[in-house]
Amino acid sequence: MKKNTQHPEVRIDDQLVHATVKLNVKLFALVLGLIGGLSFFALTHLALSKGVTVDKLSPLNLLGIFLPGYEVSRTGAWIGLLWGTILGAVSGAIIYRIYARSIYDQVNEYLNSPTIKDSDLEGVTLRFGGHSLGLALGSLFALALFVTTSWLVIRGTAGQSYHANLLSNYLPGYSVSFLGSIIGSAVLFAFVYVLCQILSVVYNSIVSVRAGRNT
Amino acid sequence: MRTQDNADKAVLMVGFARMDVLAMSIAVGVVAAFLLFMLTAVLLLKGDAGDPFIGVNLKELAKYFPGYSVSWSGSLVGMLYAGGIGLIIGFCTAVLWNLMHILYIGLVLIRGLWWRMLAD
Repeated sequence: MKKNTQHPEVRIDDQLVHATVKLNVKLFALVLGLIGGLSFFALTHLALSKGVTVDKLSPLNLLGIFLPGYEVSRTGAWIGLLWGTILGAVSGAIIYRIYARSIYDQVNEYLNSPTIKDSDLEGVTLRFGGHSLGLALGSLFALALFVTTSWLVIRGTAGQSYHANLLSNYLPGYSVSFLGSIIGSAVLFAFVYVLCQILSVVYNSIVSVRAGRNT
Repeated sequence: MRTQDNADKAVLMVGFARMDVLAMSIAVGVVAAFLLFMLTAVLLLKGDAGDPFIGVNLKELAKYFPGYSVSWSGSLVGMLYAGGIGLIIGFCTAVLWNLMHILYIGLVLIRGLWWRMLAD
């Protein structure tokens, strides 16, 4: 990656970039952590208001298999808040880190371009890199599924994990076993990768259209 | 001719780039709608929708999404609900992100003014 401009008298301050990235990773982790945690908390209480309890079938109760301690109850709502915050924060940190890889390229483009004005910088908008995002988040979710399924196998409850086995409807080849978790993780990786690509394509397209309209 | 100040300003502007609220709302809405549609469609294509054990968790969604069912027409209704929820989550994410930047920059400016006052 070309870190500095072609003009030796003007350099991209690596320390400034590093400090900016470090701060924004924390901010984005905070934002997505807040949204993730509060969403989980609200969903759990919504389920409780609909009469769902710990022993009733519910998509939310299924999550308790993969998020230890979580269940549809008042206590579970707080644990869900914690899990949602952790997952949201990690995802947020990953997403911004991926965006940060483009900072040098964007700054170099501005510095080397005679047509980009200072005012253009003020309207600069975050863009998503679908491929990198898909790889990173896909790996995160695949690893999470592998670890939680392996935990079920190690603690000896694979045979009773009826609900976990239902995932095989959506993840062909998945089962509550080591081999099944590897296959399921690979399928989940592909699924999350596709979702990230869709998110990036839709978001970047709308941003480009709006940027084109404003010029 | 670009100067070092230009380079530093560019780093900050790109690093603190704002998120497009409309784009993020629509993008997350589309992904959420697509996700629910796919989850329903998989069961329908496999022919498991009528099975009393398989798909029973997805059917529970009808409690939260009136009109949703594990059927083709129901999946379209579900897409609308999921899209709406995705829209709200995307909107909140983008607004919070932009707000965090405004708050942080505001705090830095206030802190700068404060230290300048103390120094004077």
